Amino acid sequence: MWEFLSDVIRKTLTGFGERMAAFGPNILAMIVILLAGILIAGALHFVLKRLLPRLGFDRFAQRLGLSLILQKGGVRRPGSAALAAVLSWGLLAVFVLLAIGALNLQFAMDLVSATLSYLPQVFIAGALLLLGALVSAFLRRSVLIAAVNAGLPSARLLAGGIHTALMVLFAAMALEHLGVGRQVILVSFTILFGGVVFALSLAFGLAGRELAREFLGRLVRGPDGEEKRDELRHI
Amino acid sequence: MGPADVLIGIPSFNNARTIGHVVRAAAAGLAKHFPGARSIIVNSDGGSKDGTADAVAAAEFQPATILVSHPLSPAHKIVTPYDGIPGKGSAFRTIFGIAQRLGVKACAVVDADLRSITPEWIELLVGPVLERGFDFVAPLYLRHKYDGTITNSIVYPLTRALYGKEVRQPIGGDFGFSGRLASHYLTKPVWESNVARFGIDIWMTSTALADGFRVCQAFLGAKIHDAKDPGADLAAMFAQVVSSVFDLMSVYRDRWKAVESAEDVPLFGFPHGVGLEPVRVNVERMHAIFRQGSRDLAEIWQKALQEDTLRDVVSIATAEARPLHFPDSLWVRVVYDFAAAYQRRALPGDQLLGSMVPLYLGRTASFVLQTADSGPEEVEAIVKGLAEEFLRQKGYLLRVWGQGPGGA
Repeated sequence: MWEFLSDVIRKTLTGFGERMAAFGPNILAMIVILLAGILIAGALHFVLKRLLPRLGFDRFAQRLGLSLILQKGGVRRPGSAALAAVLSWGLLAVFVLLAIGALNLQFAMDLVSATLSYLPQVFIAGALLLLGALVSAFLRRSVLIAAVNAGLPSARLLAGGIHTALMVLFAAMALEHLGVGRQVILVSFTILFGGVVFALSLAFGLAGRELAREFLGRLVRGPDGEEKRDELRHI
Repeated sequence: MGPADVLIGIPSFNNARTIGHVVRAAAAGLAKHFPGARSIIVNSDGGSKDGTADAVAAAEFQPATILVSHPLSPAHKIVTPYDGIPGKGSAFRTIFGIAQRLGVKACAVVDADLRSITPEWIELLVGPVLERGFDFVAPLYLRHKYDGTITNSIVYPLTRALYGKEVRQPIGGDFGFSGRLASHYLTKPVWESNVARFGIDIWMTSTALADGFRVCQAFLGAKIHDAKDPGADLAAMFAQVVSSVFDLMSVYRDRWKAVESAEDVPLFGFPHGVGLEPVRVNVERMHAIFRQGSRDLAEIWQKALQEDTLRDVVSIATAEARPLHFPDSLWVRVVYDFAAAYQRRALPGDQLLGSMVPLYLGRTASFVLQTADSGPEEVEAIVKGLAEEFLRQKGYLLRVWGQGPGGA
């Protein structure tokens, strides 16, 4: 009995030892890849954090309105530091995937393969969001300035509305690209957008009939009243 | 065609109604004041569809209309379309090119929509070049106190402070210049830029001043012309004019940095005053836009204005006390801050200058209120005072130039 038990334990330990001997290099490789990833990502962060400001990235980000978007999103650090962090964390994530892949396990291989095939979608969705943020910030500013110069009292509301509508549109496009709840997003967006247009039509039709009449009249007849009486020649 | 002594250039685009009068006045001026000179009138047209070219061809000068005691030789006429980007600058480039090819000694350019041009304008624009050796003749018009507010509050005082010469109408539109200066203009690589589209007037004046040519002014009297475009957007017009001045500040920064004072330039002609029609101004509307700008555009102004400038602007915009008063010293800081912001590209140019419009309207409203009961001389003294303030604060411009808001 004791011999049988001892044989089973010995075989088990031997098998474990053999499996460990076979699997050990994979674990070692994983650790090495992880350590290399941490070092390389850290070095990249260090270099980018110093190089980007010297290349004028912060000024570029400010001009594009990226800094403002970051501030609104609660990110207090400069654009260069944020980009350095995003890129270094992204690189580290790639190394983590490689490290998991080094284990050579079926589920790990599946995970790596699935993640890598999904990455392009994530990048495109991120690019869409970034583009949306830039375009909507630019248009918001243009509309705000034009509306103030035209003396429209609700300039901020108009500019904010355009900004929000564009951001919603780009976010919907990004989610659509990621394949997240395609039908739900499409239906939600259609209902939301249609609802907003319907509400605006009602509001304009019921509350702004006079305004609409005046607006159309001015389109047909040209400006009159106060504005026409202003005869100042600026140049 | 052989060489010529004097060239009169007329850029045009759909000016059939007025160009005939301009051509006749130019021809009469040449015949009356420069009878011995070989003269040519060039119409550089931007593809008019209203028969402008026919109007030029049909414009015959009647010698009987002027009193002369010498034989008259009529000026030649050339009607030519110009190449390049559509705009007054491209039309001028064609005129400069013809002047260079014909080796002319003196040129003048006059707008095709003028109604008040007389033969004496030709004498005043060409004479100082041909007979006194000047290279550039800037026009000096008699204007209503509220006419040309962008010129009075930005272009004139800034040009004076930058280049140190008293040129009262730097963007007048009608100029005299030497053949030498026309050739110099052609050497500049600006013909694919905004200079070709809309910035030619200030570019010609600034180039002549910055490159050390001999400059004078000629008093032409009142300038009456067709309304440019009654529906033209102020913000777009403002951005065109101010961006042209700011662009030149970057080009000539090494020249203007050293300028610390301004001097008068010789004036030709006989300045006089005549009654001008009153101008109606909606001050309340301008003030309201200024007030709204201080509320809604502060986040954009923050990118251009220094902290204390922004604080002072918001303070006067929101002050309940009447009347609105926008001090000269503050306005100068606003203009210099925006010039520096434009130079460092704090925002896209159109947006940056568009956001400056409410500030300009606030300043204009303040000026109108301040001068409501003032005569032309008093108003001119106020404009000159502003120009002096621009010069006094030149050190401030040098400090903020190349800096971010707050000195960053």
